[in-house]
Formats: sequence, structure tokens, C-alpha cells
Amino acid sequence: MADAAAILEVRDAVKRFGGVTAVNGCSLSLAAGRIHGLIGPNGSGKTTLFNCITGLERLDAGEIRFKGRRIDGLRPHRVARRGIGRTFQIIRVFPQLTALENLLAVTEAPIEQARARAKELLEFVKLTRLKDEYAGNLSYGQQKLLEFIRVLMTDPELILLDEPAAGVNRTLLNDLLAAMARLRDEGKTILIVEHDMKVVMGLCETIYVLDYGEKIAEGPPSAIQGNERVIEAYFGR
Amino acid sequence: MRPAAIALPVLALVAVLPAVLSGYHVSFMIQVFMWIALAGSWNIISGFTGYVSFGHVAFFGIGTYTAALLITKAGWHWLPAGLAGCVPAMMLALVIGYPCLRLKGPYFAISMLGLNEVVRALVSYFEGFTGGGAGISLPPIEAIVPVYYAMAGVAFAVTLTTYLILNSRFGLRLLSIREDEIAAEAMGMNTARLKLYAFLLSAAFPGIVGGFYAWYASHVEPLSVFPLITTITMIIMCLFGGSGTVLGPVIGAVLLSVLQELVWARFLFVHQALFGALIVAVVLIMPRGILGILRQYYPLPRSI
Repeated sequence: MADAAAILEVRDAVKRFGGVTAVNGCSLSLAAGRIHGLIGPNGSGKTTLFNCITGLERLDAGEIRFKGRRIDGLRPHRVARRGIGRTFQIIRVFPQLTALENLLAVTEAPIEQARARAKELLEFVKLTRLKDEYAGNLSYGQQKLLEFIRVLMTDPELILLDEPAAGVNRTLLNDLLAAMARLRDEGKTILIVEHDMKVVMGLCETIYVLDYGEKIAEGPPSAIQGNERVIEAYFGR
Repeated sequence: MRPAAIALPVLALVAVLPAVLSGYHVSFMIQVFMWIALAGSWNIISGFTGYVSFGHVAFFGIGTYTAALLITKAGWHWLPAGLAGCVPAMMLALVIGYPCLRLKGPYFAISMLGLNEVVRALVSYFEGFTGGGAGISLPPIEAIVPVYYAMAGVAFAVTLTTYLILNSRFGLRLLSIREDEIAAEAMGMNTARLKLYAFLLSAAFPGIVGGFYAWYASHVEPLSVFPLITTITMIIMCLFGGSGTVLGPVIGAVLLSVLQELVWARFLFVHQALFGALIVAVVLIMPRGILGILRQYYPLPRSI
């Protein structure tokens, strides 16, 4: 189980909210330098698991290790500084900051270096023209892209993306997918929650399927597509 | 540089004004500077991070007592005594900010309201030291022009500090907290520490203003230096001009002080009602203040 190349290990994670067990004994082991998918019906615990990994929620049981060190129980900014970045399912850009300010606010890098990186990233998602516009005035898709490049500003080793493709048009989506592949080639590890099966199946090397907070399947896309428990979870018996 | 082009003529004007103004108008200007400094201080914590402090007058009040005690009991000159007002103000901010800045939204506002009442009660209680409800009388002030310059200095220092913060990433991070604290935290910002730094800065200046005010007013007592209306006035001035901006609190403090002088003095009995109506109007019609409205039409830089 202790895979030498695993960058993130979640062991028997449990998270309860009152009487609801949102994550129920879930274990994942993410190989470094790959793109992983996390899927499951609504309410299956995907976002809660993200929140537990990034420190926004505290585990009730189990442990989480990043590069071998425990990170469960750390405050969110400490988890982030260890090298885990994330985006949110519901967009969380800073609306009254400009696009450029959104990027500059999150990095500790020297300001000239930060500006250069921000310029590069804005060009990459074609938002250069809008850099001085308030983030709140951008379209939904543009905000999604801004959130995506904002997490890249912190240069994380592990990137958690919560539904990155939702609401992004096809052309931009292709750019986004290319960007993820490029990040992987640079050695980053990515975990994506996504409902768009084309995105998940085309991009991810390993897919984890959650249902009612439990991991019901794990494997390459081909194995997941034919898995009976997965089909059952999505479409019912 | 443009900000300097605005600041230098204003500073020059402020420097020469006492030579041409009457004593009454110098007093009025002292009040204006006081409000600029107080509204600007409130802006540093509440305008930037969105944590609304309803107890900011506590720092002012602590400053007045510090200076009054240093002058009357330790024989200090009023200038260092006034400046020393920032020390207990910041200590209080540290003690109260550390736990309370973890509270969100209305809970923080209410805890700060409670803080002010606690401090006022304590000051009234320790009669032997603070003079209790009767307060402390200081030697009568001989010249107000030095106080004019001292108060102008604090107003300038607050505005300059605000400018420097807003042009730094520290400022962007404070604004990020206001915009979305969870996202800020998830992006690696130590939000608890950032808020505490902002709170300490925003408490220091009211402490100094209070220190100078004690000398200027020649008398301090719990009821006159811890009134809730002072906090509310800071808030309204800041919101009216535009919170989270450099010049918003300045514009708000100047306009409302002048308005108070021109209009409200003539409607003595309804001026509280007019003030209340203004609060409602500002919150309803222009929650982002004058600069907020201008910003919708013109792309103003952060440094304004």
C-alpha cells in the first residue's frame, strides 16, 4: 500500500456532519506526476474529501500524508504552503480585485518575478486584455480560468481541481486540457473532480469512484467504464 | 509621481493655514484632522478586511487616559505623552484581536462593542487611578496651534500608511480576506496573522489621536471618551467617502465635518435625527461611498 512514488496518501478517512457520514473510510494513493480523477454521483463526498485534504475540514478518523508527512489537522494555509493548491466548485476569485491583483495577492515570490509569471499565465488563458478588470466583472468561464491560473501562481506540486471544465466553452476547454497535460509533463500531480466523462476518461490515468462517502472502484478508465458497481451508483439498479 | 503631486500642495496649505485662520477655525481643523485619522484607522481593519469593528473608540479612549495620566502623574510633555497613547492601544488590540478576529461577521462586530463597554466600566471602576466617573483634569492648554500640527501629522501618517498598505501585497492580501477569506486561506495566506497586523495598525493611530485629544480637551472622563457615537461617526465617514480606499476616509471626514458645521449646528435638536437618516441613506444608496461610485464610471487606480 505504501507506494514509494505516492505523493498523497489518504488512509481510512472519515468525515461526519451530524448524522451524515460524508466520507466513510476512504483511502487513496496518488502516484506523483500523473492526472487522477475523482468521480461519483452528487453528494458522494468528493468535495468534502477535497476539503479534508486541503485542511478546510478536519478528519474525524484516518490520516492524510503528503510526501510522507502528516497534513491532516494543519490549518489550510499551512497545507497550501506545503505544496497543495486547489480550485473550488463554486468560483472563489476575489471579485473586487482585478484579475492581475488576484494573481499577485497569492504569491510570496519577489514582485518582479510574480509580475512576469502573472503576465505569462494571463497570456496563456488569453485574459491579458482583461488584466485590470475586476474579477467580478469577468464572465463565468473567464473567472474559472482566472481561478485556475491563480492556483498555478502558488506553484503547487499537487493541484486539486473541483470541476474545472464546468461552464468553460469547448475551445477554452481544449486549451485547459492541454494545460493540464503540460503540467503533468512538468511533473505536477493533478486530482480532478469532474462530471464531464469525456474529460475524465480522456485525461486521467487512474480514476477513483466515490459513492456515499466510500470508494467503490479504482483503476484506469477502461476498467471503470465497465465496472458494475459504478454503473449501479450512477444509474441505479 | 502623481500621489506626491496631490499631497504636497495639500500639506503646504495645511502648514500655512493657522497663520490666517481664527482660533475657532483652527479648532475646527483639529476636529477634521482627528476624524480623518479615526476614520482612516477604522478603514485599515474594517475597510480592508471586512471585519467591522464597533468598538474602535476604545483605542481612542485608552489613548486619552494614557496621555492624561502621563501628563498629570508623571509630568510628561504632552507630545510624547500623546504619542505614547498608541502603546496600550496596541496592547489592548493584541489581547482582544487574537481571540476575536477568529469570529466571523456580526460576531466580531458584537464582541468589539462589548470590548468598549468593558474598558469603559473598568476605567470608571478604578477610581483611585483614573478618577472614576469624574475623570482627570489636565492643566489648561495655552496654545492650540501645536495641537493642530500634531493632529495634522497623525491624519497624514494614517493616510500615508493606508497608501503604502494598498500599494503592497500585504494590502492585496487584506482585501483578499474581505473578498473571500476561505479562498485566501486555501491560497496559502495566514489570514489570522494578516488580520492581527491590520488590527494592531488600526488601533495604534486612535491611541495617538486620543492622547492629543486629552491635552486639547483638558479633561477626560469615561462618558466623553468612550461614546459609541464616535465609533459610528468613524464608520459613516469611512463608508461615505469609500471604504477600502486611500482617500475615502479623508473625503468622508472632511465633507461630513463641514456638513455638520454648516447645517447641523443650525438644527441643534434634529441633528441626531439627520445623522441617523444619513447613515440609512449611505448604506442604502451608496454602500461603496463616493469613490466607489466614481470607480464604477472611471477606472481609478488603487492608490486613490
